[in-house]
Amino acid sequence: MKRLSSIYFGILGVIALAFGIADLLVTIGGSGLSFGILEIPCDAFRGGWGGLIILSAGLFYLAGIKNISEIHQISKVMMGSILIWIIAGLDIFAMITESIPGGDRSWFNTLEGFLETYAPPYAPAIFLLPFSLVVFYYILKKERNILKKEKDEE
Amino acid sequence: MTKLGVDERWDLIDKISKKTVTFGEYKHTLKDAIGELTVKPLTGIPIAIAVLYGFWSFFSSFAGFFTDGFFVKLFDEHWLLWLQEIFPGKESWLYYIFVGDPSATNCFEAFGVLTSGFFVAIGVVLPAIVAFYLILTLLEDSGYLPRLAVLIDTILHRIGLHGYAIVPTILSLGCNVPAVAATRILETRKERFIMMTILAIFIPCGAQLGIMKEVIPDTMGFVIFYLFMGYLIFGFILNKIIPGKTPEMLIDVPPYQMPTAQNVGRKLWMRTSSFFKVALPFVLLGCVIVNVLYLTGFIAWMGDILSPLFIGWFGVPSETAGPLIAAFLRKDLAVAQLSAIEMTKYQMISAVVLVSIYFPCVATFAMMLREGWKELLGSIAVLAVVVTLYGGLLHLIWILLGVA
Repeated sequence: MKRLSSIYFGILGVIALAFGIADLLVTIGGSGLSFGILEIPCDAFRGGWGGLIILSAGLFYLAGIKNISEIHQISKVMMGSILIWIIAGLDIFAMITESIPGGDRSWFNTLEGFLETYAPPYAPAIFLLPFSLVVFYYILKKERNILKKEKDEE
Repeated sequence: MTKLGVDERWDLIDKISKKTVTFGEYKHTLKDAIGELTVKPLTGIPIAIAVLYGFWSFFSSFAGFFTDGFFVKLFDEHWLLWLQEIFPGKESWLYYIFVGDPSATNCFEAFGVLTSGFFVAIGVVLPAIVAFYLILTLLEDSGYLPRLAVLIDTILHRIGLHGYAIVPTILSLGCNVPAVAATRILETRKERFIMMTILAIFIPCGAQLGIMKEVIPDTMGFVIFYLFMGYLIFGFILNKIIPGKTPEMLIDVPPYQMPTAQNVGRKLWMRTSSFFKVALPFVLLGCVIVNVLYLTGFIAWMGDILSPLFIGWFGVPSETAGPLIAAFLRKDLAVAQLSAIEMTKYQMISAVVLVSIYFPCVATFAMMLREGWKELLGSIAVLAVVVTLYGGLLHLIWILLGVA
């Protein structure tokens, strides 16, 4: 479990780090990049500022994988996930706020327009989001193990 | 009632503590470990950067949803047209004051009390203020704000303040008025003076931020950065000039906790409603006074007098005299007025910066006066120097870049 978790969050950390660097490089380059369903934004806010945060998330993951069962190490992994939740959560919130108003034509968007807003391509943080949620499973599993151990000792 | 002796009192204390206190080895929880990460500079700074990103991203999406999504349409396509249709006497001064320019096609450019006044207050400022106070309350109630104070303490000591100065600083991003009141949490007169002065000059309020987002969305980042640099530079200078002490900070950092909906709702309502009690009358009154000043020719006269300073020193058109006078009443209204003046992108940045660092709005002015007239006079003296130097410096930057 411990070894598997270290490998999992290590890989996630490397991917987040790569996405962060890509975000920053694309922002410096000045034109957005799109590969199929992945889109790397080039604006200073999402690409630059956001890229720096994704990069930090990667570093948090990598800093936390050694001796991952120790509470201070898990907190780093957790913090890496929190940073991804901030970026991805607000990307999704921005999609929601864009999808409802109808623009110049009407008060509310059409069903087609509404659904179109949620169509790909997505920013890197959205892809990292489901994988970052695994930290919950790991923490719950660890807490259960501790409780079980305490019961066994009693 | 019998009096207990010393031994009896100790016995009683022992009995109470045995019943109420649990003894044992304290184990670090995940919340504790995360709490430690948020106050250590190496890990805390990236987290603070992420929190600020979240703050700004939420603010933009939330305010944009209501303002651009619904209020612009409501005010421009319905309210303005209806008022232009039913309000009598298109040539009269009453029409000019209440509805504004008869040929205006949007509420931003009309400048009437019932058009621009209501649109700015309800359509732009209300969503911005709600978004701002919601996030502030969540940060406060979750326990992040005291940690941010600890994290930022070292930086703020360089400008003669301590970590808790982050509270008035962040508050003033909502409204300068409660922020001036919040400077009372700082211990010494030196700290209070520095804080009050730099927040009144360099920190744009939520209303102003909301309008900036509408008027200069592409260059807003630069304006905020320039103001932030001014906050640090002039704070540093004031710290060197002003005598007095900056004591160390001693604060009790609470554990992280989940904010409750009831508390958040109550705080949000209290802050938003008190902001509106202060702001709304000034926005509407501001519209009336500015329109009267335009009608009487006072603003044109001021523009003529100040034009050498405006054109030569600041590099902005003389027409910006009007918004600068309006800025004393409401800064958000002044930024809205700038949008109607023909300017280059760089002149617009300079003008928005000038409106921001120019005299605090009259509500803040009144609040500062309550804190002491000596402090107020001192702040005004600093402000005059800052506006001249910092406004001129921006013009110099444009000249050096070859864009002025």
